[in-house]
Amino acid sequence: MTVTTPLRGSAARPASAATPRRRRLTERRSKALAFIVLTAPMLLGLGLFRYVAIGWSFLLSFSEARRTIALGNWVGLDNYQELLADERFRDSLTMIVGFTALIVPLTFVASLALAVLVNRVRRGRSFFRTAFLLPAAVSYVAAAMIWKMALFSGVPSGLANTLGALFGADPTPWIQTQSPPLYWIVLVTLRLWLQVGLYMILFIAGLQSIPQHLYEAASLDGAGAWRTFRSITFPMLRNTSIAILLLMFIAALQAFDEFYAIFSTGASLGSEPVRTPLTHLYGVALQDQDYGVGSAGAFLLTLLIVLVTFLQGRILGFARDKD
Amino acid sequence: MSASSALSRRGFLGTSLLFVAGAAVACSSNPQGTAAAKGAKVTLTQWYHQYGEEGTQAAVKRYAEQYTKANPDVAINVVWGADTSQYETKLNAALLGADAPDIFELGDFRAEMARAGQLEPLDDVYGAAKGGFNKADLDYLTVDGTLYGIKTIDDVMVLYYRKSLLKKAGVTPPTTFAELVDTAKKLTTDGVKGLFIGNDGIGDSPYLLAWSQGVDLIDGKKVVYADAARSIGGLHQLHSDKSVLLGFTTDWYDPGAFNQGAAAMQWGGMWSLPAIEKALGDDFGVVPWPAYDSAGKPVARLGGWTQAVNAKSKHVAEAKKYLQWLWVQQTDIQIDWAVKYGFHVPPQAEVAARTPELKKGAAKDAVAIANKNGISFPAEWTQAMQASFIAAAADIAKGAAPEKALRKAQATAQSALDKQMG
Repeated sequence: MTVTTPLRGSAARPASAATPRRRRLTERRSKALAFIVLTAPMLLGLGLFRYVAIGWSFLLSFSEARRTIALGNWVGLDNYQELLADERFRDSLTMIVGFTALIVPLTFVASLALAVLVNRVRRGRSFFRTAFLLPAAVSYVAAAMIWKMALFSGVPSGLANTLGALFGADPTPWIQTQSPPLYWIVLVTLRLWLQVGLYMILFIAGLQSIPQHLYEAASLDGAGAWRTFRSITFPMLRNTSIAILLLMFIAALQAFDEFYAIFSTGASLGSEPVRTPLTHLYGVALQDQDYGVGSAGAFLLTLLIVLVTFLQGRILGFARDKD
Repeated sequence: MSASSALSRRGFLGTSLLFVAGAAVACSSNPQGTAAAKGAKVTLTQWYHQYGEEGTQAAVKRYAEQYTKANPDVAINVVWGADTSQYETKLNAALLGADAPDIFELGDFRAEMARAGQLEPLDDVYGAAKGGFNKADLDYLTVDGTLYGIKTIDDVMVLYYRKSLLKKAGVTPPTTFAELVDTAKKLTTDGVKGLFIGNDGIGDSPYLLAWSQGVDLIDGKKVVYADAARSIGGLHQLHSDKSVLLGFTTDWYDPGAFNQGAAAMQWGGMWSLPAIEKALGDDFGVVPWPAYDSAGKPVARLGGWTQAVNAKSKHVAEAKKYLQWLWVQQTDIQIDWAVKYGFHVPPQAEVAARTPELKKGAAKDAVAIANKNGISFPAEWTQAMQASFIAAAADIAKGAAPEKALRKAQATAQSALDKQMG
């Protein structure tokens, strides 16, 4: 590198030394060119497949588009009105807010507790970390099938029913039982199993950036485990926690896969006991081919997510520096 | 910054651009395609959903190759697609794009598609053979006086029952809904449920209940299913008796639960008949869904698959000629397709009469039930109407007031129907 540069600068192109300004300009221009050429495919792809699609969908939400994605048949806010008048969609919104309020704290506590525990283990730490992270690599649909057909199937040979039989319980159709709503056990355990590992890893990364000397000082002062956690670990994890909470809120509000996979029967639609906004919109847009109303729903959901994120930002702040 | 490193950077750029271009080309070719276009002038793309029966995929390819042998100008690219639950969604998406199939299958024929101009009229494909086709099928596929599809197989769905289990419980196959409830209760013992109508405990039963009370879903331009509140309300009793099997590993359209003895009666398709015969020998029988009461009538749902031609296809004439060859003229292929893999009825009466498999035992009974009690969905029925109807029925099974739940769903369906009729 350093050997060839003076050669080119002084001997091969002596004129360039006389006009360093122009040379800098060419260099800057070629750098800009390289930047454009290198990023263009990515930006074009992103623009075409993301932003143009989002913009198109936004326009579709104001247009009557049944069995077509052509624009032009403008109907103003009719699609939004129709959707908000639809009781099934409103129910799905209420449901998802409740679901989020339940699942986010649960996932948060579970993954934080797991992170602290795994971080304290002396032997086999990486084994435990891997073991808990592995489910995050499993697809939602594959996991939902296991939950539906092996663990919580209604037949006596399902795992949950086999365990129940040891205690003399009758075989229970877990997913279909409405009162009490046992299907929530299936949905919540599935989601926890899939998600806790990933958030645990994020928490562990946060834990390891806490300076060790704080703990040493605390133990000299005679602080116990709980006190250490409350006064050092948790406050020092503030930024990590806020980022993780944000991810959790978005993941919960966008719930689709397991709700669809657990309740889909393959033949009839509509018998599922709970619907998320996305499963409802999937039916509207992709099955019933009403792309106008479907797009309107997508933007209502986006609005909800933005709102929640904004509220979280107002209450907790976005990962701002600790003062 | 050296000249050599600048060069290699440029080289890197070039290669990466080539890579991107190559990837784009690779992505645009159809990985699922089975193009046989050697010297053919026209290649037709034909979509099938994924049939579960063994040998079906090879069979449809064989039919296509046979056609190309007789008509070297036309090659058929058979695309074997998604399973029943996802097929329509994928098809609808494909029909919006440039890669749309020329010929495709439809599980439930949708008049809405014809009205939206997506389907090509097929009256001339039938020609003089029209009179030989099943009358109910023709009515089903006719929208405003024009035929838009051709049935490839007819399926009838019936109530299977285990003779030995009914005998042991001292009951006979039910002939009214009250009897069905009673029989299901008596047949429910330790480890065996009386009736299996679907993992959700709903399945197609709301349709059957309405029809068995003598109420159809749509009458002219009016959605009328709320008139069946009395019969659909019966779902609540079936559920609170705990005599229906829920959450089995396979659903009602698979004979698994019946064959394994998890249910003594199961609503299922005639396509399962060979598998049931193999598992249970002659220890089973078939009856239609019982009449709701003495004023009602026994019913059976008629299904099957329809093929249609994409109105926007560039090769409409060739596609129609191929369909005519395949589903009107080639009667041997039609018999092969109907009974050699699964078990279905060929839609042409003359062809069905020549199919020996349909003339004996339970198959004969099922064909008789199809002819006497068969009802299809109205062609105007859509997935959205189905979703709100089934959701109302599921609420009723849980204990909601039938009349109120159905009226509400019916109002939504009516506004969808009004939009469809324009």
